Amino acid sequence: MPNRLAPDFDYEAALKACAAGRRPALEALYRQEGPRLLGVAQRLLRDRAWAEDIVHDAFVKIWNQAGSFDAGRGSGRGWVYSITRNLALNALRDTARETGVDEDTAAALDARDAIEAWHDTRDAFDWRASAGQIGPCLEQLEPVRRNCVLHAYVEGLSHSEIAQRLGAPLGTVKAWIKRSLQALKECLA
Amino acid sequence: MTAPQATPDSLDDLAGEYVLGTLSAQARREVQARLTHDAALRAAVTRWEERLLPLTNLSSPVDPSAGLWPRITRTLDGKHSQHQPSAVRRGPGLWDSLRFWRSLAAGGMAAALILGSTLALRPATVPGTPQYVVVLVAPQSQAPGWVVQAQAGQNTVQLVPLAATEVPPDRALEFWTKADGWAGPVSLGLVKPGEPVRIPLDKLPPLEPNQLFELTLEPKTGSPIGKPTGPIQFIGRAVKML
Repeated sequence: MPNRLAPDFDYEAALKACAAGRRPALEALYRQEGPRLLGVAQRLLRDRAWAEDIVHDAFVKIWNQAGSFDAGRGSGRGWVYSITRNLALNALRDTARETGVDEDTAAALDARDAIEAWHDTRDAFDWRASAGQIGPCLEQLEPVRRNCVLHAYVEGLSHSEIAQRLGAPLGTVKAWIKRSLQALKECLA
Repeated sequence: MTAPQATPDSLDDLAGEYVLGTLSAQARREVQARLTHDAALRAAVTRWEERLLPLTNLSSPVDPSAGLWPRITRTLDGKHSQHQPSAVRRGPGLWDSLRFWRSLAAGGMAAALILGSTLALRPATVPGTPQYVVVLVAPQSQAPGWVVQAQAGQNTVQLVPLAATEVPPDRALEFWTKADGWAGPVSLGLVKPGEPVRIPLDKLPPLEPNQLFELTLEPKTGSPIGKPTGPIQFIGRAVKML
């Protein structure tokens, strides 16, 4: 894998320095995570320039809100990714690209499609190499449920977009995702 | 239903779907509003963020363009006027974004002024042929930049600059249109900044009220994918003139 993280990067110290107004700390964070954050945003938004806008806004927000980061609540790295993902997801949902998929999908697809989708055991993502500690828990999900989770988290697809992609009824996809999250939570506990 | 949001399970489900990204725009806003005062929800969201964080590794890193860091520092240095979240200003879905059009309505006064002056200057038209005018405004400042005029019988549109448009040397302005029922915008070709141009609408259906027009910043030879890829510079809707 290219672009491996510098393993000893201290995210919490960098955020603390940002809160103290030390710009080089933000730049170090940008050098460390900029390409990965841009990769995450671009995968969600499918638009390079838009993704760069998000990363711009994310670093401005990280700088302005570093003082509110609480190391007792979660990791500094997780906080940085959450800021970026939330900006990207808000932008994605606010543009409301959803067409009438809900009704169309619900009307056009029936239980037979659900069963066919269920038997689709191919992986849509090459997740084994990079999923880290959540990997064994993903392994326990049926491929179709695993794909639902990854389409949502990695690609930012809504329930109805996933339903359309998989050719499965909307309600079924919602249930799969809900149960998959519960299974992941139990597995990671 | 007995207050489903009160149980720990439903709170955790909500947090999980929020972090996963499957909530609608409205549901996301509600969760974000609640996070400011609901410590239990905040803790649940943080737990889900940590659980799912390794999945960010599934997106390949992308090297930012050389200008991104300088752009961030310029914003932090306050060299731009008030910082506005730039990401909300556009995106592939802007064509359909109600929020965006509502915000444009606020710029209606400028558009009305332009429309008024255009009406006063327009040449005499053949009675009975509908004529359309589109004022293209900058998405952020809503400053008018171009006017599109079209006369139904002629099947051409005229694009007239109202102000100077700056285009970086390695980029070009591409002109697009989309009527309500169309699947996506159609390119009307590249446009030179500051120069009026008459564009045939050869294969397009007749103009419709509300039809969208926009100018986007694209690579020198135009969008490589036949759809807008760069930021919107100017955008507006066709208005039928009486």
